[in-house]
Amino acid sequence: MVLLPVNCSLYPALKELSDPICIETGGARLNLFPAVRDPRVPRFLHPVAFVGAFTLLGMLFALQEWVSLHSWNNHIYITLRLVMAAWCVHYSLWGVICWLLWWRLRRSIQTADFFSIVTRFLPLSVAVSVLEEMIWVSIFPQLPLGLPRMTYWHRVVFHLDAELVDNLVIFWSAFFFLRGVGYYQLYRETEYAAVQLETQFANAQLRALRMQLNPHFLFNTMNSISSLMQTDIVAADRMLEQLCSLLRITLERGDVQLIPLSDEMEFIEMYLAMQDRRFTGRVRQEISVEPDLYDALVPAMLLQPVIENAYTHGLSRLEQNGLIVVDVRRQNDRLVISVVNSGLGLRPEPSTVEERRGVGLANVKDRMQLHYGSNQAFNIEELTHGKVRVSITLPLQFSERPTEKLTGYGV
Amino acid sequence: MIHTVLADDEVLARQKLRQLLRDEPEIDVVGEGMTAAETIDLVRATKPQLLFLDIQMPGMDGFDIATELCSGKTGPTPHIIFTTAHDQYALRAFEIHAVDYLLKPFTRERLSSAVEHARREILLADQQPATNGAAGRNGGRYTTRIVFKSRGRIVFLPVSDIRWISAEENYVRISTQTETHLLRETMARLEEKLDPEMFLRVHRSSIVNLQHVKEVRTETDGEYAVVLVNGEKLTMSRGYRSRINEWLTHS
Repeated sequence: MVLLPVNCSLYPALKELSDPICIETGGARLNLFPAVRDPRVPRFLHPVAFVGAFTLLGMLFALQEWVSLHSWNNHIYITLRLVMAAWCVHYSLWGVICWLLWWRLRRSIQTADFFSIVTRFLPLSVAVSVLEEMIWVSIFPQLPLGLPRMTYWHRVVFHLDAELVDNLVIFWSAFFFLRGVGYYQLYRETEYAAVQLETQFANAQLRALRMQLNPHFLFNTMNSISSLMQTDIVAADRMLEQLCSLLRITLERGDVQLIPLSDEMEFIEMYLAMQDRRFTGRVRQEISVEPDLYDALVPAMLLQPVIENAYTHGLSRLEQNGLIVVDVRRQNDRLVISVVNSGLGLRPEPSTVEERRGVGLANVKDRMQLHYGSNQAFNIEELTHGKVRVSITLPLQFSERPTEKLTGYGV
Repeated sequence: MIHTVLADDEVLARQKLRQLLRDEPEIDVVGEGMTAAETIDLVRATKPQLLFLDIQMPGMDGFDIATELCSGKTGPTPHIIFTTAHDQYALRAFEIHAVDYLLKPFTRERLSSAVEHARREILLADQQPATNGAAGRNGGRYTTRIVFKSRGRIVFLPVSDIRWISAEENYVRISTQTETHLLRETMARLEEKLDPEMFLRVHRSSIVNLQHVKEVRTETDGEYAVVLVNGEKLTMSRGYRSRINEWLTHS
């Protein structure tokens, strides 16, 4: 059995990809996905923890032995101090050995196949057990008590006879424990990789969706300007200026995903002003926003496709008296944005138009899904008199730091 | 007539300015500069009152030219309107007392409003030759103009153009003759900066420019309302009534 070696795992490759996923919100940074802790080294595998745990174990055994000696073998006099010392030294030695195993050999332990277990670790276990016993015997020459004096080697053999099996058990327990840690690490690493890949993917998707919007909107407006140039130079000039202002704002934002509502509404006001020029006053525009929501965060360019859709499929069909209402309000811990437009309702349209209708709105839906998962809602419904309402419900979030804006006072 | 020099390294940019300025009755274009050196020489020779200045020019940038012209070696400093495609220099331009900051491409209306601001400042400077433009009016204690970004444009707004200001939580909405701007600012901070001779707080959430007030009216329910020249009506709190009465008796 060969495990994936720890040092040639997915981790280094991922490291390059895994910049913390942060979202610029015009000065405020919002960490969408909290960083996952480096899973490579479990916290409990510190040398002090190793030796400490083993010494504690030794103390417990010592207490047990002392109690049993006192209850049954009253004829042997032994102090608690000696019992404690003997057991604690025995187990701290094992603590050090196990830590050395972890420190120097964990990779071979975690990756060892059956052959190398038999040929390398079996002899090692016996050697280490004997060595430990030899060191221990040299520290406690007075043991065993109650027997005639023996030479060093006699004592080693005497103690090994009693404890070799115990020592082997300790060694192999440690061996399998460290192997288990390897599995645990591998599991954590895979998990980490999965989370990282997921966030990378979500981010890439968001970026792509966001990029889709600009050219679409850009070329449509360019086309309007191109058309106006033939008939009304001044109007074309105005629209070009408006487009440049919109473009300037969009470029400045870069690929920031979440922006304050005030910025989004500013963009929408500009967009509506441009549409108003195209529709020469045929459409009445109403905007209402609860002022305490201006700092709430919303996905950038969330509303433009919705409003464009309202114009293309509703308002453009009307000769006069069109109406578009954009309303943003708070509903408990949610932000509810609704766009109502007059038009011809949601009646089925010829297939070519039907296909086109979806693109902008699908983009909005996809982005909301990626940002908020199931914690959001997008509804489109027909009201009376051919009115259509799109409502968007988002969790209410505020940026931690208010955005810095260029504002200056002077004389 | 306002003698004007245009400075831009791009011929089409100068052409656009020249054509649009032809329709401005008070503007007389006396020369055009293509480079920094040319512009400085031209300004020294013709002593214009107004200079349209591009920021990125061969040789020196627009600010270097402005500094050179302000050094006094060239005689009176012209009023400057920056024309540029970049918005990041706006604050700097504001600080060196530029009249306006036009982001390319600009419309005829935008240019007209900049020319109007320039005309007013030139007039003011002629009346008070000793002081540096508007600074003298209130001893420099209060703001006479505000710079901010609104709807993708840089606005250098003279406070006299403000009609009234309303509070919207952490924001204020500034209403001018033609439009409104939303700024992230508090009422208290803004009130501090505005000259109390000119602006009056009439409500917890509104400040009005007294120049635009037509009358104070008692409503049928006994409440007071401030009516602006253009017919807009703002409610007034009782607590602020005495202040406006005081002003009314003064004027």
